[in-house]
Amino acid sequence: MPKKILPIEGNSPGIALPRPRIVESLWRAGLILVLVVVIAWAWTGTDFDIKKLINSLPRMADFLSRMVPPDMTVAKTVVVSTGETVQIAIFGTFMSALASFILGMLAAENISPRWLSQPTKWFLAILRGIPVILLALMFVSTVGLGPFPGVLAIALHSTGMLGKFYAEAIENARQGPLEALDSAGANLSQRVRFGILTQVGPDLARDTLFRFELNLRETLVLGLVGAGGIGFYILLYIRAFQYEKVATLTVVVLIMVVLVEQISVAIRRRLR
Amino acid sequence: MELSVELKRKIHSVQSGEANSVISMDEVRFHYNRSAPPVLDIEHLVINRGERVAVIGPSGAGKTTLLRLINGYVQPDSGDLKILGYNNGVTSNRPKSLNRRIGFIFQHFNLIDRATVLENVLWGRLGRVNPLLSLFGWFPQKDKKAARKAITEVNLEDQIGQRADNLSGGQMQRVAIARVLAQEAEIILADEPISNLDPALADDILGLLSNVSQRYNVTLIMNVHQSQLAQRYADRIIGLRNGRVVYDNASHLLNSNDLRTIFEPEVKPPLIFNSNAKKDPSH
Repeated sequence: MPKKILPIEGNSPGIALPRPRIVESLWRAGLILVLVVVIAWAWTGTDFDIKKLINSLPRMADFLSRMVPPDMTVAKTVVVSTGETVQIAIFGTFMSALASFILGMLAAENISPRWLSQPTKWFLAILRGIPVILLALMFVSTVGLGPFPGVLAIALHSTGMLGKFYAEAIENARQGPLEALDSAGANLSQRVRFGILTQVGPDLARDTLFRFELNLRETLVLGLVGAGGIGFYILLYIRAFQYEKVATLTVVVLIMVVLVEQISVAIRRRLR
Repeated sequence: MELSVELKRKIHSVQSGEANSVISMDEVRFHYNRSAPPVLDIEHLVINRGERVAVIGPSGAGKTTLLRLINGYVQPDSGDLKILGYNNGVTSNRPKSLNRRIGFIFQHFNLIDRATVLENVLWGRLGRVNPLLSLFGWFPQKDKKAARKAITEVNLEDQIGQRADNLSGGQMQRVAIARVLAQEAEIILADEPISNLDPALADDILGLLSNVSQRYNVTLIMNVHQSQLAQRYADRIIGLRNGRVVYDNASHLLNSNDLRTIFEPEVKPPLIFNSNAKKDPSH
């Protein structure tokens, strides 16, 4: 039942009167209609066909059957390439965290002037907008194949997101303690170190760990364009129709992703 | 021979005891909105070293603005404002070093929740230590000693390693007091330090503030709403109304007529909503 609101004379700022019921219903129906049209448009544009999917089931079963039993002769390659994937994710996240910390402070409106914070936010948005695969292709063609272009692509791409998260965390820091430090005679660097980092440190660590999980998954894709890691070998074995080896790599990737996620969640839970 | 104005003022200040003053204001005006009447309009006000002053007045009288003006958060629009010998007038640049000589106690304590009692108090000395070394967490022994002494002063030795967010409201305000003690502030400004505390704790905190101010000969200026508490814990009461000083006398001389002058509402014409007005934090 709609809430009863006492009649108010004149225009009273700050008090929103409820919409009449009929307008509310029409509004809701319009929204549902728009949603249905958008989904239908996406469906037709993607050639989604249930019949085709059902008909392809035997071929899928054939594909999967060729993956068993997994070929363990690639164990050494798996260990080396998995290690490389984790290295790219760790070092890329580290580089990104460093850049994000500086850019995050420049983008935070509570410690940077607007003429600086706004352009920094735009710059971070541009970084977020460039697909990581495009960055990887660019770096592969400029610095060569291997993990190095992977690190650069991961660092640059994740700075767009991490920098934004850091800036938001800094903006959410309580101003009162900063005023107190200011009153004690602290300078800007001391205010940042003691007032901001102490307050938002756990938030920054949580964001960084979350980004590390994403980076680990993105590093797998980077291998497809020659930017190092286990993804490179998955593509190599698929092209050579060596599905048993692909199976070994896939299992390892699954274990690695789940393990890292569990560790990351456990650490994030302890941060307060 | 005619004496210069400056010389006359100096002679007057010595005669009236102003030579010992830590704060002096002459014709100080401050506006949040130039088209509205000033939030503070102080003709003449002198506060001496070691005085315990309570500022009372209705909400919006300018009590918080007065403290913010002294602390340098806002600058006067006109007039002479001298704090600890430095001119804080319209054109003069307030030296940063003045900050560490003025401690501020806030209504909402403003502690860093994740830091321990010791850290919160020690960081009160940030203006006195080497900035670079402090960034790496290195504080000289004498500073650590000063912080521990301040914590003992407010009876929180048993909570020294406790995180601030695990403390009660009264304990948090004690940490804030210890922070300004560690800061070795010459003036302590307390902006409604008891408004978030229950009556028993309020008495306790004002007693502590008054006590440390007396023992260390620190000037204490506190905004309080309750005139009885102001009388109990201050030597002098300043009554503000519409930004003007309407009462300034020894606390024991405050009577009901004075309270009426300070608090009784005036009959005013209806307010016209002004959307351009800047927000006044004292409201």
